Amino acid sequence: MSFTEKILCTKSHEYILKGDTCTVGLTDYAIEQLGDIVFLELPEVGDEFSKGDTFANIESVKAASEIYMPISGKIVEVNSALVDAPESLNDDCYENGWLVKVEPTAGEDEYADLLTYADYKEELE
Amino acid sequence: MVKHTYLHDKHVKLGAKMVDFAGWHMPVQYSSIIEEHKTVRENVGLFDVSHMGEVFVSGKDATVFLNKIVPQDITKLDYEKAVYCQLPNQNGGLIDDLIIYKLGIENYLVICNASRIDEDLNWIVRNKRGMDVKIDNQSHNYSLLAIQGPKAIDLVRKMGYNIENQKSFTIKPAVIEGVKLLASRTGYTGEDGFELLVENEYSEFLWDKILEKGEEFGIKPIGLGARDTLRLEAALHLYGNDLDEDTTPIEAGLSWSVPKDKISDYNGKEVIMNQIANGVSKKLVGLEMLDRNIARHGYDVYFNGEKAGHVTSGCVSPSTGKNIALAYVKNNKEICTGAIIQVMIREKLHDAKVVKRPFVEKRNRV
Repeated sequence: MSFTEKILCTKSHEYILKGDTCTVGLTDYAIEQLGDIVFLELPEVGDEFSKGDTFANIESVKAASEIYMPISGKIVEVNSALVDAPESLNDDCYENGWLVKVEPTAGEDEYADLLTYADYKEELE
Repeated sequence: MVKHTYLHDKHVKLGAKMVDFAGWHMPVQYSSIIEEHKTVRENVGLFDVSHMGEVFVSGKDATVFLNKIVPQDITKLDYEKAVYCQLPNQNGGLIDDLIIYKLGIENYLVICNASRIDEDLNWIVRNKRGMDVKIDNQSHNYSLLAIQGPKAIDLVRKMGYNIENQKSFTIKPAVIEGVKLLASRTGYTGEDGFELLVENEYSEFLWDKILEKGEEFGIKPIGLGARDTLRLEAALHLYGNDLDEDTTPIEAGLSWSVPKDKISDYNGKEVIMNQIANGVSKKLVGLEMLDRNIARHGYDVYFNGEKAGHVTSGCVSPSTGKNIALAYVKNNKEICTGAIIQVMIREKLHDAKVVKRPFVEKRNRV
């Protein structure tokens, strides 16, 4: 199963890979739309967010954007290597380009409005 | 209705990401802004800037009229010369910034910003009352192609154009690849190059020819994204960001384009001359961020814990890797001479140093 077959996506272009700790990042469509990534700001381990909260900031040459939590949760790991090399997101936003790992703090119903990657792509058309 | 330039289909076919800009559907990037930027700094790039406005001004009073609406002294403008100037209102605030070209006796071309063409025309018509002047907005009939970069001259020469007697900031009627056009040695990148004003129907042919002949020089089409980072590195003002109706040319650091000895009166002259004599309260400065954060348009600037101004343009400089910005700050000697100030970015203060403009060396002085 490819990475994108395992993820769920938000309409604001975040993805989440479900697990005991969930992996959260930005979809390839989001990265493509942003263009050359030049800045990334990630939260700290231990920070807690509700679904929909801004938890990170990303900037391309052109503009600054906020990244939102797809579910409620506590940050257990951040991909700090990316902060020093945000441009690598342009090559890979999945396997090595995840942003944070999250311990969910709310129920399964928070996944109800998330889309499979295939449905997400369809929604974009 | 969003407008298309005559080259719109070319951009789409080249796979450009298209955006709405000043009422036009324009290419923001073809491949990558950073890559396109470096192409212009190292080789040569081709821009479609047909959204810009072209207004021909002619008639018995053309010189007197233009002299009344801009601070530059148009009576001193020689045949085939271009001059950068501004269109101030009565308070010295800027309606637009322009380039005026002298094409002949009482015959001028004014190139203005796409976003301001309506305001410019309104203002021009209001100011021409009683004068023998013909204002002919030809924006819809002309395309403008810019060839910019250190290899631009080699390319234009390769296309059979003899540039030997055409200096920077001049315009000449020319025939390039069999196309009659106006060739202007100007640009908006800090590099040497040409802007070619051509009738719409020849623009596609010329675009293809330039890309074909430019191949050996490493030419690439360049979008508005790189146009913005290139002009910002060269500290060239962008109307709507760094210039507006509440900002005078003196505050904007454009005193070099305001002659002190011009005799004729012009809109805003009193305010502008008073600022030259007595100083300004705000001033445009260059900033270099001291961390990875990027200052963007609208962010507040602080000095010693107090609000001291705001950022008008900011980006990562693809040439230097530094994060650069332009900002208006209180005109206080301590701030303006290399102070460390702070920019409020996402509710946190980040250090930046006040630095000299431009951020890269300009290479368009010939």
